[in-house]
Amino acid sequence: MKASRARLFKEYKEVQREKTADPDIQLVCDDSNIFKWTALIKGPSETPYEGGVFQLAFAVPEQYPLQPPQVRFLTKIFHPNVHFKTGEICLDILKNAWSPAWTLQSVCRAIIALMAHPEPDSPLNCDSGNLLRSGDMRGFQSMARMYTRLAAMPKKG
Amino acid sequence: MAASDSDDVNLAYDDTADDDYFYLDDTDDDLHPPQASDSLDDDQLQGSDSHNDDDDDLLQSSDRHDDGDHDCDDNDDGDENALEEDDHDSPISGQNFSVLTEADIRHRIKDNIAEVSSILSISKNEASSLLLHYNWSVNNIFDSWFADEKAAREKAGLFLEPLIESPDHGSSFCVICFEDYPCDGTKSTSCGHRYCNDCWSSYIKTAIADGPQSLLLTCPHPSCRAAVGEDMVGLFASEKEKNKYSSYIVMSYIESKKMIKWCPGPGCENAIDFVAGSENLDVSCLCSHSFCWNCTQDAHRPVDCETVTKWMSKNSSESGNVNYILAFTKPCPKCKRPIEKNMGCSHMTCRAPCLYEFCWLCLGDWNNHGTCNRFKGNPEEEKREKAKQYVMKYTHYFERWATNQNSMKKGAADLQKVQTEQIEVLSRIQAQPLAQISFVTEAWKQIIECRRVLAWTYAYGFYLPEECEAKRNLFEYLQGQAESGLERLHDCAEKELLSYLKDKISVEGFIEFRKKLTLLTRVTRNYFDNLVAALQNGLSDVNSGSSSVSKKRKSNWAAAAVNAAPVLDTNINDNSATAPAPAAAASAMEPWACAYCSYENQSSATNCAMCGRGSWTCDVCTYANSRTSATCAMCTEAPEP
Repeated sequence: MKASRARLFKEYKEVQREKTADPDIQLVCDDSNIFKWTALIKGPSETPYEGGVFQLAFAVPEQYPLQPPQVRFLTKIFHPNVHFKTGEICLDILKNAWSPAWTLQSVCRAIIALMAHPEPDSPLNCDSGNLLRSGDMRGFQSMARMYTRLAAMPKKG
Repeated sequence: MAASDSDDVNLAYDDTADDDYFYLDDTDDDLHPPQASDSLDDDQLQGSDSHNDDDDDLLQSSDRHDDGDHDCDDNDDGDENALEEDDHDSPISGQNFSVLTEADIRHRIKDNIAEVSSILSISKNEASSLLLHYNWSVNNIFDSWFADEKAAREKAGLFLEPLIESPDHGSSFCVICFEDYPCDGTKSTSCGHRYCNDCWSSYIKTAIADGPQSLLLTCPHPSCRAAVGEDMVGLFASEKEKNKYSSYIVMSYIESKKMIKWCPGPGCENAIDFVAGSENLDVSCLCSHSFCWNCTQDAHRPVDCETVTKWMSKNSSESGNVNYILAFTKPCPKCKRPIEKNMGCSHMTCRAPCLYEFCWLCLGDWNNHGTCNRFKGNPEEEKREKAKQYVMKYTHYFERWATNQNSMKKGAADLQKVQTEQIEVLSRIQAQPLAQISFVTEAWKQIIECRRVLAWTYAYGFYLPEECEAKRNLFEYLQGQAESGLERLHDCAEKELLSYLKDKISVEGFIEFRKKLTLLTRVTRNYFDNLVAALQNGLSDVNSGSSSVSKKRKSNWAAAAVNAAPVLDTNINDNSATAPAPAAAASAMEPWACAYCSYENQSSATNCAMCGRGSWTCDVCTYANSRTSATCAMCTEAPEP
């Protein structure tokens, strides 16, 4: 508990110090609870998520960093490895491949990488996975783009 | 690889208790130095030792194993087992297995590690990492190590050179807690990734709490495969966690061996090493739990595993009830509720709300019921009759199976009592040394074993096809003999013993008693051994349609009969019997009436098929002898003409 708090505090200071280091990621700690974080990440370019801003919610366990944080999308996203309803993410480093050397920042980076390179063979969103697996890139991209427009872009007007 | 004697990390499995085990040769004390289990030395927590140092090796005994003649794989039980076999020989079978206590298993693990470490010239810690990654197959390790050492090292996560340069001086940044530490406050495994001691400690503790996968723990650095082995666990885990880790190692060892299984006895921590290819699948553990090696159910000779499964599921399932309902009830013709007849007259009235009135016999409506005594043949009725028979048959066999099972359990409790109390009382009262009294425990062990076998013969009998009448007859005869022989033994051990526990009658009397019980034990053992063999053979002596006993088997039975002659009446109709009993001579080929129950027996029957008694009674001792015995089997007195 103490160790995780100290480590999160270090990460917090690091985030404050290098706010501009990674313009795609904006990590914010909850005002009253250092175990709750949110992040805003930009959809990677040349993907159907480009132009969208996606919100992630982090719930950090007390055994952090020995155990991984729980992360989910708050913004709706059409992606084979993200549950369409709950926003749950299927990513190995958030499960068994977790290493205590990872940080919240690096988890965000890994999620951005996952957005650019979906793994249709272990889908949480079967519709999306099936589109990719059947080779229907156009169908997948237009669905993903539509949801990016609907959910991840500031409303115009 | 110099191992030091003094600051050895001595964990629970460097067991001091080893010396208590009876089969360990005391002179062999270089294997198990009696040591107090000192806790982890503080200076090792400073991290001053290199992790490859032998000193922090968990599974290591303080002295190197010098024997050097350990087989690689499954058979390294060596001389211990030779000694062991003598000590716990099971009452009936020859030894087809050996019992491994936790200490033995740790012993073998140590041997394995010592062997790999000495042959490959690596530390014991590295050796155990290799063994864990290669599923404890020493041969596989050698094969792949000598083919490609680098690949083998990589697989087990043992690096010769650190992957990164790590400074030995100055400060080092721990990427887990994000703090700077002086170098001696950090540690790394073979890869060189340094973390502070606190982070190592919590990393290893979390992993151990997570379960046996902690045996394959790797460096915390993402995608670094360097092994975090026993040395690190020894440094950073608490005593309790080290015990847990070491029990994972034991589990992993046992699970990797095909011929070793845990004893399924409640609370038992021993494992059984089975000799491949043995025919006898029954094994019994030091905890006195006997089980079948194949199916790990309770021991069930002479019945095979499949029958046992069938029998047990039958006992637990509802199928018996269903058959009962079928046999003793009839469905109401209108509402189909099962109805059991509880009054004499055939006029049945179903319960409200149905209230249908019908005839119990023909199930016809009572209102226009005339007579129904004429036979028309009713398949329903036949089915019911069959089911009724079946239920009765099952009840018969189940009752006897269960009674013998209970007898066996009671016998085990009695044996306990004999061993803890009666033996000493007996030794005191009869003024005999304990060694002279062991025959009592022998007898009890035999009783337990026989009860078990006898119980299972009832399951055997239940599944024995009705059609093979000859087989059934032989089986029932053998079973009956076995039962009465066992009863005699049981009675002798249970009742007759009591008088000798009260006061000293005479030395001669006690010696007589000892002779008798010893003989009964031996005879019963032989008989049951033969019985088991015969049943496992599927009673192959019986050719279909005839009840003749094949020559070979007959000689076996005859041999048993020689042993059994004074007490057990085996009644093998041996042609070489020159002097048939007068009764037998008189009526060799005629049916004979039993003197006790007046049942008319077939000419070939030597004992009454109804009551099991022999055909003539000895005038001297009243023993009921079989037809074929010329002299009394009990007192050897010849019958009066």
